Amino acid sequence: MDTSSQRHVVVIGAGIAGMEASAQLQGLGYAVTLLEEQPQTGGNLLTWDRLFPFKRPASEVLGELRSRLGGIHVLTSRRILNIEKLNAQFILTVNDGTVLTADAVLVATGFKPFDAYRKEEYGYGIYDNVFTSVDIERMFREERRILTRSGEVPRRVGFIHCVGSRDEKAGNRYCSKVCCVTAVKQASELKEMYPDCEVFCFYMDLRMFDRHYEQMYLDAQTRYGVTFVRGRLSEAAETIDKRIAIKVEDTLVGKPMKMTVDMLVLMVGMEGRTTQLYNSPTLGLSVGKDRFLNAVDEYTDNNLSRTEGVFLAGTCTGPKHIPEVLADAGAAALRIHRYLCQKA
Amino acid sequence: MFRERFSYAPFVWPFVIGLIFFLCFFVAAIVRVFKELPQSDKIKFGKSLFTKQTLVSIKEIFMECLLHRRIFQRDPLLGFMHMSIAFGWFMIIVLGHIEVKLYCPNHLNLPYFPIFFRYFVKQTDSTLGGAIFFFLMDFFLLMVLIGIGIAIYKRINSRIVGMRRTTRLKIYDWLALYSLWSIFPLRLLAESFTSSISGGSFLTRGFGLLFDSFVSNSVHVVPTWWAYSTALGVFFIAMPFSRYMHILTEPFLILLRNAGIRTVRHGQGYALTETFACSRCGICLDPCQMVLPGRMDKKATVYFISNLRYNHMETAREMAEMCMQCGRCVAACPVGIDSCRLKLSVKTDNQMGQGDTYLQYLNPASDALPAEIQPVVRQMPEKPDVVYFAGCMSHLTPAIPRAMQTLFKAAGIRYRYLDENGSVCCGRPLMLAGQEEAARQLIAKNTELIVKSGAQTLVTSCPICYRVFTEEYKLPIRVVHHTVFIRDLIAAGKLSTEPVQERVTYHDPCDLGRGSGIYEAPREILKDMAVLQRAYEEKDQALCCGGSLGSNLMPYETRRKIAADAFNRLTFRNPDVLVTACPLCKKTFQDVADRPVLDIAQYVATHLRAQKADAAPVEETPYRAAV
Repeated sequence: MDTSSQRHVVVIGAGIAGMEASAQLQGLGYAVTLLEEQPQTGGNLLTWDRLFPFKRPASEVLGELRSRLGGIHVLTSRRILNIEKLNAQFILTVNDGTVLTADAVLVATGFKPFDAYRKEEYGYGIYDNVFTSVDIERMFREERRILTRSGEVPRRVGFIHCVGSRDEKAGNRYCSKVCCVTAVKQASELKEMYPDCEVFCFYMDLRMFDRHYEQMYLDAQTRYGVTFVRGRLSEAAETIDKRIAIKVEDTLVGKPMKMTVDMLVLMVGMEGRTTQLYNSPTLGLSVGKDRFLNAVDEYTDNNLSRTEGVFLAGTCTGPKHIPEVLADAGAAALRIHRYLCQKA
Repeated sequence: MFRERFSYAPFVWPFVIGLIFFLCFFVAAIVRVFKELPQSDKIKFGKSLFTKQTLVSIKEIFMECLLHRRIFQRDPLLGFMHMSIAFGWFMIIVLGHIEVKLYCPNHLNLPYFPIFFRYFVKQTDSTLGGAIFFFLMDFFLLMVLIGIGIAIYKRINSRIVGMRRTTRLKIYDWLALYSLWSIFPLRLLAESFTSSISGGSFLTRGFGLLFDSFVSNSVHVVPTWWAYSTALGVFFIAMPFSRYMHILTEPFLILLRNAGIRTVRHGQGYALTETFACSRCGICLDPCQMVLPGRMDKKATVYFISNLRYNHMETAREMAEMCMQCGRCVAACPVGIDSCRLKLSVKTDNQMGQGDTYLQYLNPASDALPAEIQPVVRQMPEKPDVVYFAGCMSHLTPAIPRAMQTLFKAAGIRYRYLDENGSVCCGRPLMLAGQEEAARQLIAKNTELIVKSGAQTLVTSCPICYRVFTEEYKLPIRVVHHTVFIRDLIAAGKLSTEPVQERVTYHDPCDLGRGSGIYEAPREILKDMAVLQRAYEEKDQALCCGGSLGSNLMPYETRRKIAADAFNRLTFRNPDVLVTACPLCKKTFQDVADRPVLDIAQYVATHLRAQKADAAPVEETPYRAAV
């Protein structure tokens, strides 16, 4: 195809949404530039070890998505300094001095994990043995095993659900969707690794919403012996031997309980990223109270922003799991295709 | 040369009826208040009379009720407005009586006589004495008129007197307000029309001559005196039902307050006096963060007191539950009404006698758990120098107790951490919930624990606990908040800090600042460590963080709005760090902050100078705030 007549789409963010959408757009015959702030593509998936529901290695999924990027202009370690619009074209200035022109822009900036320091009462960053779900994945990925800060095998581990999700005090009322099933996955993996370790999950509700999840939950209880307690952590304190004393109310029994665990794992939720891009007048993005982006219509036009030529995909519009993100990215590519065809 | 023309005219009746009605009401109210005072307060009041305290009270009455010193401090023009009306009117009354005494010494001094003196007595303004009196009367009348002029303009544009908002008034207030506005212009008219007969000075004489040039003054004399008397009568009748009841209640309140009397129960005794002493001036509206940015305009203290006064108890109760008890309105109130205490009394009343399930919760639930998962208890020194009480809120901000432990170790202080394993409470939540008996038991238990430790000092990290320990406990040992404790350690050379190249702003927590008067200790610490930048609103004007435990009803969204607004106002000079001294303030601000928010203990612990080799090793206290 003649490149001079080829329409050009810039995709912002090379997480799984950006990668998938880029591949689809290229398949539809467009020239695609994929911009990424980080040194490599992959986004949050880079930080994960294995993925629910089948514990498939994240690297495999990532490898598959990356293999589809052939022919796509991938620019990593790039930040967008400025976006202007001239007639129907977007002009993007990148921090290496490159100027890109685009007929359409896809925003796929994704999410960031909730900053657990903000729940100071849980002691993250203060007590040695408080970790987040992201830390656990890193340990699985890099060290292949889970140890306390002093390098011992934990004998009792507590998983705290909904850290920074469904939490009015943290300013996040929404459910992050994936943390419940992630906790079930990580708790099972831990039991698989250390069958003698006691593992407790403290949850508000268990939202096993998708296919296979309920089976994972059942397996966690019957095959792995994870104990699920319905109740929210009220206080955590460090004991002299650097374990964590926690206070929880078991709301099914209706009694407060105290417990000391060797490790406390906080299941951090997803948060909107509110990058500088969100303030760009050219993009004209509408940021919701929950810091996720608002689409024009959340029923029928979930990939359309309020600005013509600017499209949305992935978790920048709300928490999603991988299959949802990929479906959303494909849909966004088709919406861009329709838009560019109508304009031609 | 003076001559009494009349000693009675029918137009005095509206005034006389109004005055009698008002005086009956006022006397009955005072009798009621005294009856309702607890016996101990009656004795206190009796003892306070004819002492040095009385002189202090009289001075305060003069400064506040007449000159309105506190309002002057707030806004000079607003102060001038209040002063010119109150002081001017007062002087007219005083001079009027002196005139009667001087010129008609034998006259049976009926109350209306000085008021309508100019009508009754023809006097010369050509003698020096007469001229001075006429001049003074005109001068103070002019003063009142200027005050009224400002008051009228204030209703149109309140910003001129530094108020963003003014109070929405009740029907009786409007009646009294309009009659008050009309009293003095009518007096001016009446005296001007009478000036060719009875004399006058620069104002009345001048207006008299002016009117004479186009109206026949004599026709207007009696009607204007009627109008003047009627305005006075209407004002007096409306007064007991309106905000103007404060005029005479405030001096009485000052006498009671200076005798050491405080609110016991709303609607009775001192509380009733406070309710009537509220002038609904609306000065508490602007400081209230529920009004701005909370957008709960009707929840301000002025309306709470108004609801109490007109006995709308349901509304008053809801407002008391909504209020965060930060005390900014108390600090701003020119009458000195302790509305926080009033609100607490309403809340206590609401919850009196609900079950005492709280103490059951205190029983350690971990009894049932196997011993091996019981927390390991730290070995505590036998004879500590200090008992440390972190408080329940500090347990939610573990960085604070951790920093305190670092500081204790660095200063070589033997301490016992009283509530390390939680579940000891200072008693404040029980008191707020109106469970006084349960609170009493808890206080007795804690006192025993603290005394038994043998320590000479109790250090607490929570301003709420600090206030409860100092106000509700009778501890035989020194009680300090950690701000003061750290300041003293640094002063004694037991702790030394590194200079920090940072700009720091300090936020005064409500209970530490307005509640306990501790403003300087944290500033002394910070001034020596870093560049201390003043906040625009600080010390007794300090903002509420929005996280207050005082409110049971405040929605989180409003709290966040208040917190974000307060944070923006606090950081307007763009400091690198916001330092505070309350776990709750720290926690609340952290959620809305774009830069670190630290407790002062954390700040000092992070920037300790490296100790000598033989000193105890210093534990690292890392911090990171949400960005």
